[in-house]
Amino acid sequence: MPIEEINWQLLMPELVIALTLLIVLVFDLFDSISKKVLGWMTIVGAAIALWVSIQMHLDGTVGIQFNQMFKVDNFSLFFNMIFLISTILVVLLSMSYLDRGDKKQGPYYLLILLATLGMMLMAAGNELIIVFLGLELMSLSLYVLAGYFRENPASSEAGMKYLLLGAFASAFFLYGIALIYGGAGTTSIPAIAEKITAESSSPLLLAGMFLLIVGFGFKVAIVPFHQWAPDVYEGAPTTIAAFISAGPKAAGFAAFLRIFMEALPNLQGEWSGVLILLAMLTMTVGNVIAIAQTNIKRMLAYSSIAHAGYVLIGLAAANNDGISSAMLYLLVYCVMNIGAFGAVILAKTEDGESLMISDYAGLGTRKPLLAMFMSVMLLSLAGFPPTAGFVGKFYIFKAAVGAGHIWLVIIGALNTAISAFYYLRVVVTMYMREPEEELEFSPYASTLVIGLIIAAVGVLLIGILPSLMLTPAQNSVF
Amino acid sequence: MLLSTVIFLPLLGVIAIALLRGLGESAIKGIALAIGLITFVISLGLYTGFNADTATFQLGGTPIEWVSGLGISYHIGIDGISLWLVLLTTFLTPVCILAAWNSVEKGLSGFMMSLLALETGMLGVFCSLDLFLFFVFWESMLIPMYFLIGIWGGERRIYATVKFVLYTMAGSALMLVGILALYFQNDNSFDLTTLSGPFEHSDLLFLAFFVAFAIKVPLFPFHTWLPDAHVEAPTVGSVILAGVLLKMGTYGIIRFCLPLFPDAAEKFTPLIVPLAVIGIIYGALVAMVQPDLKKLVAYSSVSHLGFVVLGLFSKNPAGLQGSVLQMINHGLSTGALFLLVGMIYERRHSRMIVDFGGLSKRMPIFATVFMIVTLSSIGLPGLNGFVGEYMILFGSFVQGAFSKVYVVFATAGVILAAVYMLWMFQRVMFGTLDKTNENLPDLNAREIVVMLPLLLFIVWIGVYPKPFLNKMEKSVGLVVTKVQATPAMGQLENGVPVGTKLALRETEHEKSEKEAQTK
Repeated sequence: MPIEEINWQLLMPELVIALTLLIVLVFDLFDSISKKVLGWMTIVGAAIALWVSIQMHLDGTVGIQFNQMFKVDNFSLFFNMIFLISTILVVLLSMSYLDRGDKKQGPYYLLILLATLGMMLMAAGNELIIVFLGLELMSLSLYVLAGYFRENPASSEAGMKYLLLGAFASAFFLYGIALIYGGAGTTSIPAIAEKITAESSSPLLLAGMFLLIVGFGFKVAIVPFHQWAPDVYEGAPTTIAAFISAGPKAAGFAAFLRIFMEALPNLQGEWSGVLILLAMLTMTVGNVIAIAQTNIKRMLAYSSIAHAGYVLIGLAAANNDGISSAMLYLLVYCVMNIGAFGAVILAKTEDGESLMISDYAGLGTRKPLLAMFMSVMLLSLAGFPPTAGFVGKFYIFKAAVGAGHIWLVIIGALNTAISAFYYLRVVVTMYMREPEEELEFSPYASTLVIGLIIAAVGVLLIGILPSLMLTPAQNSVF
Repeated sequence: MLLSTVIFLPLLGVIAIALLRGLGESAIKGIALAIGLITFVISLGLYTGFNADTATFQLGGTPIEWVSGLGISYHIGIDGISLWLVLLTTFLTPVCILAAWNSVEKGLSGFMMSLLALETGMLGVFCSLDLFLFFVFWESMLIPMYFLIGIWGGERRIYATVKFVLYTMAGSALMLVGILALYFQNDNSFDLTTLSGPFEHSDLLFLAFFVAFAIKVPLFPFHTWLPDAHVEAPTVGSVILAGVLLKMGTYGIIRFCLPLFPDAAEKFTPLIVPLAVIGIIYGALVAMVQPDLKKLVAYSSVSHLGFVVLGLFSKNPAGLQGSVLQMINHGLSTGALFLLVGMIYERRHSRMIVDFGGLSKRMPIFATVFMIVTLSSIGLPGLNGFVGEYMILFGSFVQGAFSKVYVVFATAGVILAAVYMLWMFQRVMFGTLDKTNENLPDLNAREIVVMLPLLLFIVWIGVYPKPFLNKMEKSVGLVVTKVQATPAMGQLENGVPVGTKLALRETEHEKSEKEAQTK
């Protein structure tokens, strides 16, 4: 097999991240350097990669590399933006968070960068094996990060649980790849699409397809494969919970979209019904269970499950609008969800974080800035205009109505009303209830506030001027 | 441009208050009142600039492309129906700001910001000609109302505010689906003015919109959120809720349900009219037994809004004009009633009817104002309520779209209204004056200033409703022609119903003879 010329320009975002990773690794060796610098290095690296991705998206620098295995197109570049924005926001939230417990910071940023690299691989994989490699790179980093606070039993438990269930999911995924290889004779995404016609669908292919759904289902926490999510979110460091709920979920959906829309479009008759059912189930179960939560991290965990259901509506619609709406929604969701977790981190007392929703009573008057951040994020998650969450949901529903899935949209819209109940309950607690005990809240950390301002401005800006991100998303369909 | 200024000036006020809240309470109140008054004055320009000779939407300027990728534009404009609701909104807001002058104990800046944000949301709903824009305003208006009830409300405020938001959201979820389905049948555009039927699945679309509006109105049996919200809301919240928010439901019916889906409207009329009549009677009966003044007024709203819905589904000019007029009337008289209840509550910290009695001796001005408003709410000739109710009942009776029996029952609602309102008035104002009430002060200058403009319009509409009806005539006529193939009966001449005798005498036979002659 001849080795083709490598167009390094196409690999710029990944290269920048890899380089940043090495720099962080080297600088971590010097004890004399303040560990905060490592965080800033990560942010600068991710920001450069983000800038490069945006430039490539604008210039249309696209192409396929490495023997058709690595596809840089607007789709992967758009997802790069989602991942890198998530990474930047999460690192901003992390910098003060890590200071609290005198944690080792070098490996933390290293693992975040590794996970980001894995996500970028997943979005650009034009070959099932590459997607799997990216998935594993991302997942392994995340297992470690979830258990990063070793002295905290909850964190260790979260890491362990995530590892075991994640390994299961990876096995399902790999098995699915194997079966598809057995049925189609190739693992290259475009080649699979050529091999499979609607008539030639063998049981082997179908089994492989369903195993892929199960694998992805675990990774992006779709009901009934969601059980790990609340425990992991609750136990993992809050910054990592924010990270897991954002970027990796988007990456899972990126590969999900790529494989199902590009490799298996001819099996749409088989999978679209399944996805519709899963979407309905995921939204409803996620939202209904979230109502019963008293711990805000668990509530956000169930809410993030429900949001995976909304994204699935876009996948089930399976038209161009469906794909771009899922992409837009993932972007919006990442920003607002990280923002919500950020507000949780901000609400820190001397004893640690305030995780019970009842602790937030009276925040509206005592910590107006914090309460405002939290409210914007929650209202956006609930889908109230004029926030980005509303635009995202609206576009997804529009795509599904266009594809004729009226019932799916009705269920989705009613779910929005259900979700308003528990999001608003937090707002109620902050603004309308008096605190039972006076909690001493710590002063705000500046990096955290910067991160939250970015998230809040983003959420409102996309809400008022949706075209800013909508047009790029519409131009990024494969 | 003028219209955009009216819509967004209050929002500017919100920002101004947010930035200047350090200046102290009186400055905040001053800014809020100034913004409210300026908005009202500018909105008077809409009245003078409005051309009543056409039914088209006007004064909105050219639509601006907003989200090109989804066919969404910033497209606004008003017709003779929305003109009045816009004016009602801009009128009631400064009244409310003045009424809340001393009654807000905590978070004054937040209160005023919510009130002004609410005004922008409501105005946006009445002026939007793009379905997406309409929905954005419709939903975003929930948030300030949610805070108004939830922070400054009574004891069970949290229950009430959450119930209010969830009811509305459940309804609007279905409406969202309806809007999206219309989009694909409107050449991928959300523009209301290019929408023209007949639509596929028009029955379902009608229901998707109607349920959302019926919850907002609220039509029996969707009304249970209303008494809770009204009782718990602060006075000003109740005034806005009754005065304007409920009108968004009836406005939605007249703007979307009737003209867009005439066949479905026809089909569901036999179902909706009984509900409206049940609402009239039920609301009145429940109001009669309320021990709480505010709850009484709240249930009377259910009854009054039943009249409005009845008039809307009569589908003729008299009924529809009556309904639109009654929307304004209800905003004025029920708003005034809530203000009065709020004033007495501020003095006595009780709203229970049994705690009062003989107040007319101690508070003559209050009693006089209360009497006028009560009579207007009952529908005494010479005051505004009479004109609206008469036109609604007239329009409903002459149009054979539904059984006249319903109209007879609805008319009984007028009598019941007299019963519960007058009985309440008697128990509060006459009889022996309780010792605890001996030192209640009468209305002060500010309160009189709050009430006077309301009284002015109550009398004006009652005595000379023509300027109000003239402006809406063409627009209502357009809705009627869309919803009804032969708008023969219930016609108006110079804005006044053609003599009742004539319309009743004209039998179907005579009508067809007449038509043959004209041919």
